[in-house]
Amino acid sequence: MNTQTNTEVQHYLDGMRDALSDLPAAEVAEIMDDAGAHVVEVAEEMGDEFSLAALIDRLGTPRAYAEELRVAAGYPSPSSPAAATGGGTSFVARLAFWSLVAGTVVAFGFGFTRGDTLEATVLVGLCTAAAALLVFRQEGLMADIAALPETKAVKDALARADRSDVQRAFASLRTFQPVWWVGRALLIAAGGILVYRPAFGFLVALALAALSLVAGPKARTDRRWLWVSLPSTGFALGVLLLILGTLMTRWDSYPISNSTSYNAPPPTPANIYVFDKDGKPLTDVHLYDEDGRPLNAPWYGCDGDNRHDNRYPRPRVVHDETGCHETPGVPFTVVMPTVPTTTTPPTTTSQPTATESPAPSTTPSAPVTTTG
Amino acid sequence: MDTSQLLKGVLDLAVLAVLRKEDGYGYDVLRRLRQGGLDDVGDASVYGTLRRLYNAGLLTSYVVPSEEGPHRKYYSLNEPGRERLLESGKTWKSFARTLDDLLGEGA
Repeated sequence: MNTQTNTEVQHYLDGMRDALSDLPAAEVAEIMDDAGAHVVEVAEEMGDEFSLAALIDRLGTPRAYAEELRVAAGYPSPSSPAAATGGGTSFVARLAFWSLVAGTVVAFGFGFTRGDTLEATVLVGLCTAAAALLVFRQEGLMADIAALPETKAVKDALARADRSDVQRAFASLRTFQPVWWVGRALLIAAGGILVYRPAFGFLVALALAALSLVAGPKARTDRRWLWVSLPSTGFALGVLLLILGTLMTRWDSYPISNSTSYNAPPPTPANIYVFDKDGKPLTDVHLYDEDGRPLNAPWYGCDGDNRHDNRYPRPRVVHDETGCHETPGVPFTVVMPTVPTTTTPPTTTSQPTATESPAPSTTPSAPVTTTG
Repeated sequence: MDTSQLLKGVLDLAVLAVLRKEDGYGYDVLRRLRQGGLDDVGDASVYGTLRRLYNAGLLTSYVVPSEEGPHRKYYSLNEPGRERLLESGKTWKSFARTLDDLLGEGA
């Protein structure tokens, strides 16, 4: 193909792209991949007889070609350019655009803060819903929105990203889009459970989840669905971050294993006193269960300081008329029962077992060793 | 009667049918339709139909680089596409029979 032909074919293709410009960029790229290649091929077949007029004679004007394709593909009809001139519509367009942005941001915040921003969310949510209604009902609004300088800025930024390596990586992720749509719906439903439990709000979340499931594939070819799809994504990401954050803090407080939460909680009496077999109280004892896990329990001191450990006995906290006192030590003494000869000595003492290994003592009550 | 009006309703079926035996890129599909006797089929309509069937999940696509010219995007029928072809084929056949009966020997 010579340069002249090339330019004219390019011109034709530009015309087509222009006529499809209201569709999502990814879809336009797919169309141009197909139909653009077709135009080039037709032009090549014409060989020497090629001229723009001949091409238009064969395929119709770029606009007509785009229109025929649009109808066959079932894309929404293009907005009439006449509507784009009114000053009022550009205000509505701007409102719709910024409602979408605000709706997405607030939906994210709502998901992430577990519904703390209820008032703002309801307000902005209503705006976004109204904008979505407008976008679907008012013909030509999409063209107005596309003509806004802020939309163009976003488009330019996306186009720049399109050429970068990052985008190439993302392009391969497009295959997994349906997985994300399902995941998003699940996250929204999960958000409904986290925030509201079984209440009216939960039903709303379920309905939104279903709607977002529809919006995913639709938004691919029809930008109007972005007004559903983007806020859904915002909310889902917020819930996702919230869940991840909760899991992280869980892991932090249960460093050994998560399964502790499924076992019976460790016995945590207010205090534990340990005596050796001579009745001597032991202090600074550390307690563990059969799996070697520390039997941690919280302890609250007088000035609000607290610990979470397995060291016993804890200082006693006494409140009286003079205030709060922390008293270390053991408040009572015990008399150890006499150990019968036939049984092994109690194993609960802190004595090293090596000293008990000799044959059972014949003297029934006298201690064999002293504690160190 | 203008066949292009008739075509609108059955272009889906025709495109699915020509992709049944062999995958094809857009121009390929167009040629097969024309060779099959659908002379009036519009170029852009075929491309649009391919996109719609693809977006509806009835086709899969893959790109084959070509030595000369732009690379080509091939479309192939997947399982839902085959099912749709079978269903729509049945509907069409019964519809065509009905119309034949209505026309009788008058046509």
